[in-house]
Amino acid sequence: MVWASRPQPMSFSTQDTIVAIATPSGRGGIGVVRIAGPDALAVSQRLITASAPLQPRHATFTKVRLNAEVRLKPDATSASSIPREADTPARNDCLDHIVATYFPGPHSYTGDDVVELSSHGSPVVLRAIVTEAIDLGARLAEPGEFTLRAFLNGRIDLPQAEAVADLIDAVTPLQARAAFDQLDGTLTRAIAEIDAALFDFIAQLEASVDFPDEGYHFVEPQTLTRDIDALIARTETLLAGAQRGRLIREGLQVAIVGAPNVGKSSLFNALVGASRAIVADAPGTTRDLVTEVVDIEGLRVTLVDTAGLRETTDAVETEGVARSHQVRATADLVVMVLDGTAKDNIQTTDNKGFTIFNKCDIPGARSARDALFVSAKTGEGVDNLRRAIVEALDVDRFRDPPGITNVRHIALVQRTRDALIRARSAASVEGGSMSEEFVLADLQEARAALEEITGRKAPDELLAHIFSRFCIGK
Amino acid sequence: MKTGFDVIVIGAGHAGCEAAFAAARLGAHVGLCTLTLDTVAHMPCNPAVGGTAKGHLVREIDALGGLMGRAIDATGIQFKLLNRSRGPAVWSPRAQADKKVYGKWVKAALDREPNVEWLIGRAGRILVENHRVTGLALEDGDVYGCRAVVVTTGTFLNGLIHIGPEQRPSGRAGEPPSRDLAESLKGFGFEWGRLKTGTPPRLDRASIDFERQVANGTFIVERGDDPPVPFSFLSAPIERAQIACHLLHTNDRVRDLVRANIARSPLFNGQIQGIGPRYCPSLEDKIVRFPDKERHQIFLEPEGVDAREIYVNGFSMSLPRDVQTDLVHALPGLGDAVLLRHGYAVEYDFIQPTELTRRLETKRLAGLFLAGQINGTSGYEEAAAQGLIAGANAACAAVGGPGIELRRDEAYIGILIDDLITKGCLEPYRMFTSRAEHRLLLRIDNADFRLTPRGREVGLVDDERWDRFVSRRARFEKNLEVLQSTLVRSPSGDSLPASQLLRQPEVRLADLLATNRLPRFSIEPSDASFDIASAETTLKYEGYLRRQESEIERSRKDERRRIPSDFAFDHVPGLSREVVQRLEQVRPDTLGQALRIPGVTPAAVAVLGAFVGRPLPSRS
Repeated sequence: MVWASRPQPMSFSTQDTIVAIATPSGRGGIGVVRIAGPDALAVSQRLITASAPLQPRHATFTKVRLNAEVRLKPDATSASSIPREADTPARNDCLDHIVATYFPGPHSYTGDDVVELSSHGSPVVLRAIVTEAIDLGARLAEPGEFTLRAFLNGRIDLPQAEAVADLIDAVTPLQARAAFDQLDGTLTRAIAEIDAALFDFIAQLEASVDFPDEGYHFVEPQTLTRDIDALIARTETLLAGAQRGRLIREGLQVAIVGAPNVGKSSLFNALVGASRAIVADAPGTTRDLVTEVVDIEGLRVTLVDTAGLRETTDAVETEGVARSHQVRATADLVVMVLDGTAKDNIQTTDNKGFTIFNKCDIPGARSARDALFVSAKTGEGVDNLRRAIVEALDVDRFRDPPGITNVRHIALVQRTRDALIRARSAASVEGGSMSEEFVLADLQEARAALEEITGRKAPDELLAHIFSRFCIGK
Repeated sequence: MKTGFDVIVIGAGHAGCEAAFAAARLGAHVGLCTLTLDTVAHMPCNPAVGGTAKGHLVREIDALGGLMGRAIDATGIQFKLLNRSRGPAVWSPRAQADKKVYGKWVKAALDREPNVEWLIGRAGRILVENHRVTGLALEDGDVYGCRAVVVTTGTFLNGLIHIGPEQRPSGRAGEPPSRDLAESLKGFGFEWGRLKTGTPPRLDRASIDFERQVANGTFIVERGDDPPVPFSFLSAPIERAQIACHLLHTNDRVRDLVRANIARSPLFNGQIQGIGPRYCPSLEDKIVRFPDKERHQIFLEPEGVDAREIYVNGFSMSLPRDVQTDLVHALPGLGDAVLLRHGYAVEYDFIQPTELTRRLETKRLAGLFLAGQINGTSGYEEAAAQGLIAGANAACAAVGGPGIELRRDEAYIGILIDDLITKGCLEPYRMFTSRAEHRLLLRIDNADFRLTPRGREVGLVDDERWDRFVSRRARFEKNLEVLQSTLVRSPSGDSLPASQLLRQPEVRLADLLATNRLPRFSIEPSDASFDIASAETTLKYEGYLRRQESEIERSRKDERRRIPSDFAFDHVPGLSREVVQRLEQVRPDTLGQALRIPGVTPAAVAVLGAFVGRPLPSRS
């Protein structure tokens, strides 16, 4: 997968036809090339041997044909740099069996005509199809351009577009579920509900200001603060899950710390289930942070193996120890490893973690009922350790996917809430409420923040930023 | 061809009078064309000026050197500052006019203007060469050359009056409609629509026993403010005696009568096609659309100090004459009231204002300007505001000059025009304070700060007004300094600068002045400048004002991205056909305006933004 890291001018055109490999780079069972735009069907028909027109939403088994001179460079790995020069000429040949599916607009992913060509997952074949499509008039899609088109064509709103990126990015089922909920419109609906209530309320307050002669209050002063409180409560509900949501989306960090040679790296490897960190009898083997992402009960957890904590004159190790301290400070959970055989264990306590005793396989190792004993060597107690981590992370509170996971959304909902709180205090200052127009100034601001979430009022730099997170073909 | 003018203004209503006056101020020789001199600045409906947001418009017209504020101050018979219990941003002056005297005052002001010449007659054809206005032919055949025409024909274009089943082609009661002119304008290919408005019956004052109905509690007396707050920055204190109005309420009999006769209402039986204003509903509308509301307010308002007519505010209708008489008699306390004139609905043609530029010039014809109800608005104030801008720009088109365009963040007039040219009209457009994005900055007390320097630049503000403004500005700055430097005692006993004490919500500047704690603070005797409000608002609501200012700064980025007037929207890849159509119709001058066009999404504007100022791909 090629990720766009460079800032690039966004192409907002939806008039031309774009093409890209939609599946990950490398070999696979099947691979998919996606073509979207006004000429998607025409380009595809010329790519395949089937002479009958592709039927909407029907899978057609056919062959892909290469008409033009296609030259492929075998070592090209990235879809973004389709090489044009030399070596393997193929002429008017069929290259693979494929399944072609035509999704006429507007009922397609992007909203315009889309054709998906599924071939065998050979990078050579996939690149050949893309090159051929480009020769037939399509243009290589930019990162995120398919989803951008879906947004520009009004198929999805901004949170949904962001959810597509999150869903693709998800490494745990919980992350996937939170992203899918957002894609499915959960957040959009929650925002729309608050916005509708806010709008209704604003309309009544505006009427009070603009029709002072009607002889009655559109909003009774007593109900004013109560109504704002109700709106604040709605944003609070949304934000209550936000911290949780953010942890699900971004994952948690668990640091394994302890004195040198207590077996931190062995434990790390046991938890990862692979020999990831170098293990040796010599103390101070691990000198840098070693990280690995694992799925613990659906949570994305980044395990961090650290250098043993000790005073040292070795410059490299000193830096390693400094990094250990750093990660210990920022980690969501710290597992302190002690040597079960050692007599004089120095136990520095962490308020966000627990202590375990390693090397319980060695006879004479300490035993106590309430302490956690493991042996990285035999695997004894590792399951208990995993459970202890789950317990310490309080994974159960993550069972219900929260409505809001994205920092951008959280910040904007917070802005909404803060504006509402200001409106609330304007409506209830000492010596009587301030007049409606001041309350309204804050309520309008609250609304503007909500509209920024859904993209109804999104500046174009924001759009470019959001869509730059996508890989090509999405 | 007879003598030429620089600018000809068709119609001498509120838009036409301001247009002629503004154009004359800018040095244009103006022909003001009207059917008769008896109805100059006439008030065919409610004899009142101002109201929420409309009062703001009048203050802005005044700050730009217009007539309306001074006219109503000179001829008003009851003054009220609406929303006084609220903050200074939504205070809105309203006054009832002595209808006849008001018209005479405005006519006299125009008579005094040497650059304005009356052209009595019926406007016929607008003469055009090469998409440019060259003159006006009257229906009687006289032809006058000119470089710009301002059309302010109100409800006269194909006007059709309805009273029950009776239909009569007419611009307003007793006056014939403009048909030739309508034909002439239609020939230019503008997009047209049809709207409706209405007016209530007028009663004979002598037939109502006000004293008795007040005594038995049927009528409630409504009085004006004492002392009245003037509209104009130039006005001296108003010392005229004010008249009283009377409030009463509709009852079940009124409701039942309307329901029983609803099929005879042209509004409900399909006879009227035009769309009426939602916010100024007819009696039929009120009863049908708000069935749960038990009663509706009715105000009895004299049309002048000595006038015989009583205007029945809140009782506009188009029902047949017999039903109108029964309805009036059904109102509490009006059993014997005599109707001098029946209410009516009037349908009229208007030109979709999306045909106009920000200067109120048509995009199709250079030198043709439109203002007032012909642009789909309702209200004297909305009309006058457009008249002023159209007149000033017509003069600039004819004799040269920079012209004037107002932004949304500097004036309600800017909002009015931007809304019209961006969104067009689906119903008669009325100004509201809620149409302003930054209401707290667009106040009646700072209308002069916002606009008088602009008016001076263009040439609309004469020396007298400018001198008054300069001293008022100096007074304001000195007052702020006084408030910052004068120590006063707070309720808790500390001594602190008045400016700080004023930040406490319950502390009022007026109270500090009343107890003589700020001897160096100066105010104008009439308080037409709202010296107190200006100073107090600036300090007390500083946080709010600053926030709105920074919002404006943020949104100004889009407002500053100019779209060239010849921009080829259809060459922008990625815009749907509907969006291109809307953009081509409105031809927004900035990205900000594009974003306000209905049906144009932020995504579409983002696409547009990627191409504005860059070479466009040629059309494929």
